[in-house]
Amino acid sequence: MEYLLETDNITKIYGKITAVDHVNLHLEKGEIYGLIGRNGAGKTTLLKMLAGLAKPTEGSYSIFGEPEKQTAKLRDRIGVLIEGPGLYPNMTAYENMKIKSLILGMNDDNFIKELLADVGLERNIDKLKVKQYSLGMKQRLGIAMTLIGHPDLLLLDEPINGLDPQGIVEIRELIARLSKERNITILVSSHILEELSKIATRYGILHNGQLIDEFTHGELLRRCRERIEIRPSDATKAVTVIEGMGITEYKVLDKSVIQIFERLEDSGEIVLELAKNNIKTLSIAVKNEALEDYYLSITGGAGKKE
Amino acid sequence: MYNLIKMNLYRMSKAVSTKVIAIVWIFLTLFNFGVMKIVVDDPFNIMSEADKATLATSSVASDLIQSLFVSSNFLIILSVFVVLFANAEHKCGFDKNLIGITNHKWKHALARWISAVIGMTVLMVVSSLIYLGTCALFLNAFELGSLATLAKVCGIVYMGMVTFSAIFFFFTTLFKSSAGGLVPSLIISLGILFMIEKLLDFLFNKVFGSTDYVPSDFLFDSKFLNFDMDAGRNAIIFLGVLCLVYTVLTVGGSMLLQQRRDVK
Ligand SMILES: Nc1ncnc2c1ncn2[C@@H]1O[C@H](COP(=O)(O)OP(=O)(O)O)[C@@H](O)[C@H]1O
Ligand SMILES: [Mg+2]
Repeated sequence: MEYLLETDNITKIYGKITAVDHVNLHLEKGEIYGLIGRNGAGKTTLLKMLAGLAKPTEGSYSIFGEPEKQTAKLRDRIGVLIEGPGLYPNMTAYENMKIKSLILGMNDDNFIKELLADVGLERNIDKLKVKQYSLGMKQRLGIAMTLIGHPDLLLLDEPINGLDPQGIVEIRELIARLSKERNITILVSSHILEELSKIATRYGILHNGQLIDEFTHGELLRRCRERIEIRPSDATKAVTVIEGMGITEYKVLDKSVIQIFERLEDSGEIVLELAKNNIKTLSIAVKNEALEDYYLSITGGAGKKE
Repeated sequence: MYNLIKMNLYRMSKAVSTKVIAIVWIFLTLFNFGVMKIVVDDPFNIMSEADKATLATSSVASDLIQSLFVSSNFLIILSVFVVLFANAEHKCGFDKNLIGITNHKWKHALARWISAVIGMTVLMVVSSLIYLGTCALFLNAFELGSLATLAKVCGIVYMGMVTFSAIFFFFTTLFKSSAGGLVPSLIISLGILFMIEKLLDFLFNKVFGSTDYVPSDFLFDSKFLNFDMDAGRNAIIFLGVLCLVYTVLTVGGSMLLQQRRDVK
């Protein structure tokens, strides 16, 4: 499998802080990869390294199948928006866009206008100064800036951060549309899993600089499904009993907890059946985790499994 | 590289600071002319013959150029211009959008400095023309003098200013802030460093006695600000080499810093 973006034990150390700790991330073409982590998890640092703004202390990465050293010619195929858009506040949206396109040797003013219209900025683009923009408008302009070089890969660092619910929906839809219409692969970070859950196809959870989990969107839905969770005194025997009751959709975690995904209203019956077979039920609960709780459950215990 | 310079010149033309600095400098140029008019032509007859003798200001074109640019006024304008221009990209975070575009990050620093020099050149040419023009038209005592001397003085002055721009540029890149770039640049522009270097020469002479060279012979700002435009060919070559060494070191240093350092 060739990945569009791949990191090999990429690490960044700032003095005593290991901001990014041996991360192995894999991004397939066409994906929207949600990089989730709390503040200080290392998202920005990781994206900066991939964007060529910071040097890895250790490890390496490859983009478009080429190792870091040979990316010189490919760099302009990557659009980056790191930690809030960097824009000249005293210039207009058009002028900011023009600066970026001059570096890339592009001189198509219509393309600039098209891009601005595409992110919903069409009025007063050559009158209003960027400092008069709302945060949402700046974020959208920031995204338009990343699109100037016809990129194949976008690295977006918390593009949703600080926006109101309306703004969040707009940016989310914009990202989904770019992925679909322009066929761009997107790596987008956020500190809120839920915000990306509607668009991302794959997730990586970054915690204290480490990538502690990677899963697909389908997997996430499965993990967050409604279920009965039982902690029996003997899990192996309990499984036999449960299968005897005709239950097939279940999962055993850590050889001690059983998750049952069907007959959710029958928890009483299950306990009775276990008791008949001399198996104590130490705890039982019907769980329906919200995405955010699920996320907290994997990061909250500092990497401890359930 | 060409695209980078084009981009830098575009943003220079759009920056408010560029316009303010240009207007202030043109104003100071006209002000200089006003002073010359009053001192040299004395239209209001406010000076006695004795006063005129002590002031003895030359109104030959080459001397006018030298006094316009080899002054704290111009150096302050130049340092503010270079520092603000060199730091603008980093200050607003625009550098995050573009430094990663190439693996040869040093090109960004080089293009930025070259663009600053182009801006400075335009400013110097325009203000020279305004100054010489107004003096030629309205200053009775104006003398064009030898064109060769004028060209020589212009060359030396320009060479010195390119070097100053490189030094100011380096401090800005090093400290990554306007204040960090301005403080050392102003210390140089205001002649404070010059005085410190004089003191150094004095101490040097105390310790080693009288020698052929003193430290300030190798310190660009002392050498340049003190330079006698009538000096011979060797002195000019020595100054040229000094300018080259300082420019290469500071621009090279800036390029190295840009290449090696992370963008914050
Ligand atoms: N330039 C830097 N110098 C020192 N420490 C840094 C620097 N940048 C980030 N860090 C530290 O690295 C860790 C990860 O930061 P960051 O990548 O910004 O996290 P996130 O973007 O996920 O909030 C934090 O502990 C932060 O303090
Ligand atoms: Mg961050």
